[in-house]
Amino acid sequence: MQPKNTVNTQRLLILLLLVAYVFSPTVFNWMVSPNGVWYRPFLVWLLVIVIAYLFQGRSQNGQ
Amino acid sequence: MSFEITHIALLVVGYLSIMFGIASATDRGWIPSRITRHPITYILSLGVFASTWAYYGVVDLAFQYGYGALAYYMGTGALFLFAPVALAPLAELVRRFRIPSLADLLVFRYHSQPVGTVATLFLVAAVLPLFAMQIQAVAETLRILTMHTKAANSLVSSNINFREILAMGFCWVLALFTILFGANHDKHRGLVTAMAFESLVKLSALMIVGLVAVFGVFGGMGELDAWLAAHPENLELLHSPIQDTSSHTLLLVFIATGVAMPHIFHASVVDVPIARSMRMVSWAFPLFLMLMALPIFPILWAGLEQAIPLPVQYFTLGVPLILGSPTVTLIAFIGGLSAATGALVSITLAITTMIINHWILPLSRLGAKRDLQTQLLRLRRLVISAIFLAGYLFYIILGHNQSLTDLALTAFIETLQFLPGIFAIAYWSKGNRFGLITGIVAGSLIWVVGLLIPIITGWHAITLPYVGSITLGMDAWHTITLLSLAVNSAAFVIVSLLTSQNAEELYSASLCAEDELSHPMRMVLDVHSCEEIIERLGQSLGAALADQQVNRALQELNLSVSERRPYALRRLRDRLEANLSSLMGNAVASEVINRHLPYRLPETTHTTDINLMEARLGRYRNRLTGMAAELNNLRLYHRNTLEELPMAVCSLGHDLEVLMWNQAMERLTGIASSDVTGSYLGDVPEPWNQLLNDFSDSQLSHLHSQQIELAGKPHWVSLHKSSITNPTSESADGQVILLEDVTEVKVLEQELIHSERLASVGRLAAGVAHEIGNPVTGIACLAQNLKYDVHHSESLETADQILSQTDRISRIVHSLVSFSHAGAKNEPSHETVNLTTCVDEAIQLLSLQKDKTQVEFVNLVEEDAIVEGDSQRLIQVFVNLLANARDASEQDGHVFIESHVSQTLDTSSKEGISELAFDGYEVTVTDEGEGIDPSHLDQIIEPFFTTKDPGEGTGLGLAMVYSIISEHGGSIDVQSPADPDTQKGARFIIRLPSRLNSDAFQSPQENATETI
Repeated sequence: MQPKNTVNTQRLLILLLLVAYVFSPTVFNWMVSPNGVWYRPFLVWLLVIVIAYLFQGRSQNGQ
Repeated sequence: MSFEITHIALLVVGYLSIMFGIASATDRGWIPSRITRHPITYILSLGVFASTWAYYGVVDLAFQYGYGALAYYMGTGALFLFAPVALAPLAELVRRFRIPSLADLLVFRYHSQPVGTVATLFLVAAVLPLFAMQIQAVAETLRILTMHTKAANSLVSSNINFREILAMGFCWVLALFTILFGANHDKHRGLVTAMAFESLVKLSALMIVGLVAVFGVFGGMGELDAWLAAHPENLELLHSPIQDTSSHTLLLVFIATGVAMPHIFHASVVDVPIARSMRMVSWAFPLFLMLMALPIFPILWAGLEQAIPLPVQYFTLGVPLILGSPTVTLIAFIGGLSAATGALVSITLAITTMIINHWILPLSRLGAKRDLQTQLLRLRRLVISAIFLAGYLFYIILGHNQSLTDLALTAFIETLQFLPGIFAIAYWSKGNRFGLITGIVAGSLIWVVGLLIPIITGWHAITLPYVGSITLGMDAWHTITLLSLAVNSAAFVIVSLLTSQNAEELYSASLCAEDELSHPMRMVLDVHSCEEIIERLGQSLGAALADQQVNRALQELNLSVSERRPYALRRLRDRLEANLSSLMGNAVASEVINRHLPYRLPETTHTTDINLMEARLGRYRNRLTGMAAELNNLRLYHRNTLEELPMAVCSLGHDLEVLMWNQAMERLTGIASSDVTGSYLGDVPEPWNQLLNDFSDSQLSHLHSQQIELAGKPHWVSLHKSSITNPTSESADGQVILLEDVTEVKVLEQELIHSERLASVGRLAAGVAHEIGNPVTGIACLAQNLKYDVHHSESLETADQILSQTDRISRIVHSLVSFSHAGAKNEPSHETVNLTTCVDEAIQLLSLQKDKTQVEFVNLVEEDAIVEGDSQRLIQVFVNLLANARDASEQDGHVFIESHVSQTLDTSSKEGISELAFDGYEVTVTDEGEGIDPSHLDQIIEPFFTTKDPGEGTGLGLAMVYSIISEHGGSIDVQSPADPDTQKGARFIIRLPSRLNSDAFQSPQENATETI
């Protein structure tokens, strides 16, 4: 059922936000660590885009 | 390396021509709509967000803030990443109410014209630095490219500022483009496609410059890493500034930009073509931004490595220039030109809408002007030109040495002032217009004093008495940003809490906060028809435009022009307001609508707009979650229960507006729910109007068997009612009325009474007949004796008359006795009866009556028409039918008696084989008289019903015929007129089964045929 799916998607989104918030200092430090390659932030960015794409695909299938 | 000014000018003109061409081709439909309407096109058109600052200035930002520069992309990217949550409510509002700009959205939500005026003022102030920045970037890059050419030098020597001439030319060409493709709403699609193309060009150009930086300057990714390792100060440059808290402020500023910058608001919220794009934008636009951001650092490092003798903000052009690659240099220049073009056109259009809607239209009195649309178009063109002029002048005032970053940040920080107000649209319904204006004005004044004035005047500090010196300008941007936002938010919240909203603002706020499931009030509209609306709006808009707008709104709402329901008229009013908003802005549309079609607050409290609530719940059903979804399911269950209830139910509001009309009610009244829901009870068609109105007014809670006339026939309904208690208050909100169709019961009741009366009359008649029979026989005997005993002629005549009269009495008595016997349902005796003989005998008997009308009976009954039955009683049937036919005929008329074999097949037998279901004869008696009055058709069978003169008929003949035929298992039909051509004559059709045990024949009903 669609409403149920929407509920799940939104809950998952909120959970994801929480996880992102909790881990943001670690991820941020890793991202800007001088030892890593300069394009690390872009990798994280790409990962976020892929996740968003998957989410979008899911919600589209749900409808 | 330097380029000839003519070449560059040709290049600029060529590029702009391609833009013109694309916009024009789209408008003419030369580009397939699957391309122009593809979500990718929409997402690329959002790329106007990335102006020349994202192309040139961000390199400088990266130089100053390292990774902090990415906040520019990430802030906006995050906003779009959460678009389904963050932007969707705004986009939905904008779509529903056709809101054309950010200022209009604020006016819509806060229901105040000053909000629009103030918002427009500060948004214009906000975009001016951004506007000047685009012009400066184009002019500067042009100058860089043509630095050492003769033409440039000659211009310099003639004291004409070369840059300013270039900038002016560029502005006028762009103004022309904007006027041609942006002024008219109808040509909008072409502009969107051109903007998408522009984004594609600048993205490609930036990527190419990035690749040139990595591979041309460093020789590859590995070499770049090695260079970074060799120059750790550059890596340090990436990380150290980010520790500074200003990066977080940057992020906040850029999030605000994504929604509050007028042209970006337009692209991301107003222009959303389809829902699919809204979902796709959540990942595709951040991807676009990532691709735009990726080349920034390599370009910066390449510029530093090459030690380009240009400001860092022009490294994007400097890198290919220093490498000596004319192609890439020109590509880089075109990319920048493209970015500036897109930003300037979209900024101008967004600002034009606001200026017209909130500055010009409210001031100009809208009379009944002819062709308002043409006037608006002219006005738009004028305003577009004025904005380009103002932007150019601002660029001249600022001078050409401004940092692009400073200009962009100045603009973006002002848009941040609108964030609290925008946030409150959907999420804080208590925020009001006083709070909003106070907040925006307070925050913006800090911005004007702290950033705008210093950037114009070049002040860096101000000394105030008692306070001392305060740092101003970009050096203190971080403090000024936080201070202005804090003061703004605090003022907004405090003033909103201290002041109250008026009813209209409360209504708008509840409309915006859809998820709060507030109770929208049912406002009262004092118009009663669409014509009235057209007439009233015509006073402001002119009759033609008013008519066109009303018809368009009616079409969109699927309503007809004859609509009178208050609910429908309220929807029509709201739709008109929305449609006019897209034409002339929310404030003016709202003013026009409020002036001519004002809403009144209902006199009674708690008049919740149930219909609106239901419509909304239906629309947002899929968005409800958790408890709300459960409650909605419960609501649907109860609603369906009422809808499917086999009893007619309607519910009325306190003001007698029909709120519900269930399916049984539709069947009973023949009025569709969609026609009556939302209308006043007084507008319901008769006879229901009076019946329901009287009942709802009365103190009675039950009313039994009320007679009404439906389609010329009487019907009876019983009514019951009960009051409904408002869920939010204890008072009664309306009433529910239940209708019960008791017609069948009533008819049965009447038939029963009638039959009972007839039965008593029958019994009485039989008794009377019996009692009269004996004395009459005695009188007849005595008269006979008298006849023999006397010879006196007068006495003989008297005896004859006595005999004649007693004979008449005997006949009447006999028919009465026969009728009472006929009602006893005696089984007829089983004998073979030849119908021809029966008819002959009946004719024979009737021919004895010489005193009656003489007609010719034509017996065409077949010789072999033989049935089982009682011959005497069948003769009686024919005597009655033929006598009636004779009485109805004129002198020397004809009465035809015919017969047909009548057989029907039963196709519903178990084996699927057709069986003979009826086998018998059909005998018709047709006369050529006047026929039977249609109103008498259902009564002729009733006992004692006669159209003959008193004393001529007893009214028992046909009743007896019916009775006898029924006993024989047959049926009788009557057709009148028998001859459709002359409209004369009557035909009685008797169907008799061959055998008595055959099933009774059920004749099919025919038109103008009464089965009796």
